[in-house]
Order: sequence, then C-alpha cells, then structure tokens
Amino acid sequence: MRFVIITVCIVLGWAFVATAQDATTPDPKMATVDHYLMPDRDAEIALARSAAPESISRDATILILGRQGYETAVQGQNGFVCMVGRAWGAAFDWDEFWNPKVRAADCLNPQAARSMLPIFYLRARMVMAGRSKAEIVSALKAAFEKKQLPELESGAMDYMMSKSSYLTDQGAHNMPHLMFYTRVNDGKDWGSGEAGSPVMSSPYWFFSPKEQPKMSGLPPILVFLVGVADWSDGTPAGQHSE
Amino acid sequence: MLEMKVYTSAIKNLALLVVFGWASVAMAQDAAKASTNMPPIDKFLMADRDAEIALARSAAPESVSRDADVLVLGSHGFETAVKGKNGFVCIVGRSWTSAADADFMDSKVRVPMCVNAAAARSYLLRITKITELALAGRTLAQLNEAMAAAVAKKELPLMEPGSMCYMMGKQGFGGDSAPHWPAHLMFFFSDTDLAAWGANQPGSPIVGIADPAEHLTQFVIPTQQWSDGTEVSASPTHVHQ
Repeated sequence: MRFVIITVCIVLGWAFVATAQDATTPDPKMATVDHYLMPDRDAEIALARSAAPESISRDATILILGRQGYETAVQGQNGFVCMVGRAWGAAFDWDEFWNPKVRAADCLNPQAARSMLPIFYLRARMVMAGRSKAEIVSALKAAFEKKQLPELESGAMDYMMSKSSYLTDQGAHNMPHLMFYTRVNDGKDWGSGEAGSPVMSSPYWFFSPKEQPKMSGLPPILVFLVGVADWSDGTPAGQHSE
Repeated sequence: MLEMKVYTSAIKNLALLVVFGWASVAMAQDAAKASTNMPPIDKFLMADRDAEIALARSAAPESVSRDADVLVLGSHGFETAVKGKNGFVCIVGRSWTSAADADFMDSKVRVPMCVNAAAARSYLLRITKITELALAGRTLAQLNEAMAAAVAKKELPLMEPGSMCYMMGKQGFGGDSAPHWPAHLMFFFSDTDLAAWGANQPGSPIVGIADPAEHLTQFVIPTQQWSDGTEVSASPTHVHQ
C-alpha cells in the first residue's frame, strides 16, 4: 500500500501513479469545467493553506481556481504560494489526468512560485478554456521558446502535507510529503527508487519513457518526493499501518 | 550554550536537536568542556578496516551503498578503500565534521554518511579538507578560520545543484552532546535563505542550518526508516561503536 501511495503522490506534481496503472479506470475526457471548481471559496482557501504547517501557510499567497484559471484570493508576504492543484496539473500521460475528484493542496516555496507557478497558470488557463492536452503541450513549448516561461530555480520545492487532499483514486488517496523540482537528469543521482530509499522521483511532463519524444521543446524537470511522518496539523500520518 | 559552527553533516546544532525532539541534549553543556588537547590520531582511526567500510555503507540503503565508493580514515586523511560505480561516496565522519563543537576532540565519534555524486564534487571536499586540517593538529578556531579562508579564496567550490546525502545509519555515535542521530536526508546549498524552505518553523519537517562563514546552507529531512528498513521509533536504539 505504501508503495502505491508514494508512486501516486510523486506524479504530482501531485499524482504519480506511474507504475500502478492496473487499478484505475482512466478518465479519458475532460469533465465539465464546473467539476473542477470548488463552490466554496473559503473552503478552497482553507484546503490550500492546509498543505503546509500553519506557521508557513498563514502568511502565504493563496490562489483559487476560477473560470479563467488561477486567481489570487489572498496576498501573502512570505513568498510561499498555496493552491489546490487539480489532476491536470500532473504529468500529461497520467491516466487520471482529467479526474475531477483530485484536490491536491500544495504550498510552493518562493523559488517554486517564481519558476513553476507560471507553468501552472498557463496550464490552468488552457484547461479552463477547454483546450486539449496536445494544445496545452504546444502552448507550453511555444511559451518556453519565446522565453515567456522562466527557467527552473535551484531549491524549488513544495509542501504537500494536507490531511484533506485527494491525490488519486488509488490506495488511501493521500500521503504527506515534500517535493523537489530539479534539473537532475537521473533519479538515481539521489538514489531514487532504489530498494529501501525514502526518495522517489518522476519526470514532470510525462511519466512514460515512450512519451519522451513529446518533451522536445520542454525543459527537463525531474520531481523528487520524500514522504514525511506527520500531516501539516501535526498529527501522525500512520502510513505504515495501512 | 554550544557553539553552532556547523561544518557538516548532521546535526551540530542545538536548534536542530530540539526540533527533532531527540536529544538528551546537553542544553547546559558547556562548550568550554571541549577538549583542547587532541587525543592521539590512532584513537580516531578504526582498526578494523572492514568494520569501517560496513559502518560507512550503513548510512544508506544497501541498494545505494553497495555500489558506492567507500573512504576510510587514515592518519593523514580519508583514503579510497572501495571504488564504486554509482557516484555515491560513503564515509564515517569524525568529531570535527560530525559532532557538536563541544565534542570536537571526542575520538569516539563515528557518523556514517553517503553523499551523492554532486555532493561528492562539492560538499565532500570540505569534509576531507577539514579532516586533513584536524589530523594535522589544528584547533577548532584555526580550523574554522582556514575553512572560511579557503571558501573565500574559492579553493573550495560552491555546493553543486542537487547535492544531498543519506544519513540513515542506525549505528554510530555523535558525541556526548547528541549521541544518536535520527535517520535523515541532507541537502546542501550555498547561501540559501532558511525561510525559503520553511525550515525550523513550527510543524515543519525541515530543519535548516546556515553557516555564513562557509556560505553553506544545509537542510535536514528526517526519514521514517533506517537504512536497514526498520522503522524509526520515537526512542531510537543505537549500537555504539
């Protein structure tokens, strides 16, 4: 069970279900826009904040998803940005990419906010406009080519420690963890995926090596994940008791 | 209060230990207690080379450490005992790199770590240089000064992006101030704001240590298992060397 959850989480950006394709029913099509929105603005703000301990998220900027994409609900002051990610923020070949149930609370540190958030904004705008995966990938490539999207900053990371997130249909649906966005070429450079290692990793854009040709024009981003013991509210995750 | 000069590894810092909630730490321990007379070098060496290799490897899961380079401590510094092939390098840190300043001359300190290739090309160079200085008989103050100067002159490189290490060994001894390290990973940066990672904030799993003199920032993230796969419990049990 623990392995399933970890692989699920890594994907993510928030869901990296890479090797566990067997147990899910793919969501081949986009749901209607309303299914990705949260009707209660305060609930979305609270969920976003729950990604990190209150000591971090209370002074963070909070984004919520609107019909045009992410918009600022609360202006913060510590450089962190918290939001609720949707499934389509994850790798393009994830089989839950259009899963409308996914709610992935995420607090990005300042480096990630500066370098990853512009990507999130663009993806969200296009999804909410009803664009296809291929159109989104094409738009991202064009934006990178025109240098409208920034390079990844060293030290970009985020907190995903919310007890209330729903990361995937698989397993227990959730697990507290930290994620690190890197330019590392090979997950093995961090011992990722080795037996007994607490480190997992996944390419950000596409999981499958077969899909790597589609990455041409996109900067390589390797995402590492390290599970942590407690939820953001300090309660133990107890992930080993499943 | 202990001095907080942190060269390295683990957890030479009271704040850190408090965050881990671990320490039988010697809050009141007096830095003046630190020995000023270095024990004979032989006391810092491990007579059993195979035991040192095994202890060094215990820092990371066997899947990582079995193909790592392993260095052992000789009378003039670390020497390659095993040539690996995956880029990781495992060593057993001694007091001058892996214990509180109060324990600078504690010859019993043994702290295993496995650094990745990026850290081997940057962070490990500091460990080996400190070790050579210490073995040459430098005092803590002299050593601090020499390291700061070497960094300032760019004789030592900045931390390479992606530098990290495993410190998940159940065995080892960190000195009287903090005898037992929790299992953890470490990440190395040059001059990074601790707040940018939310380090040392209430509820944060990340502990940050800044060393402005060496332009070194270290982040520590506890893991839930030891390198042998056993669960980390609230009351760690260790085997002293």
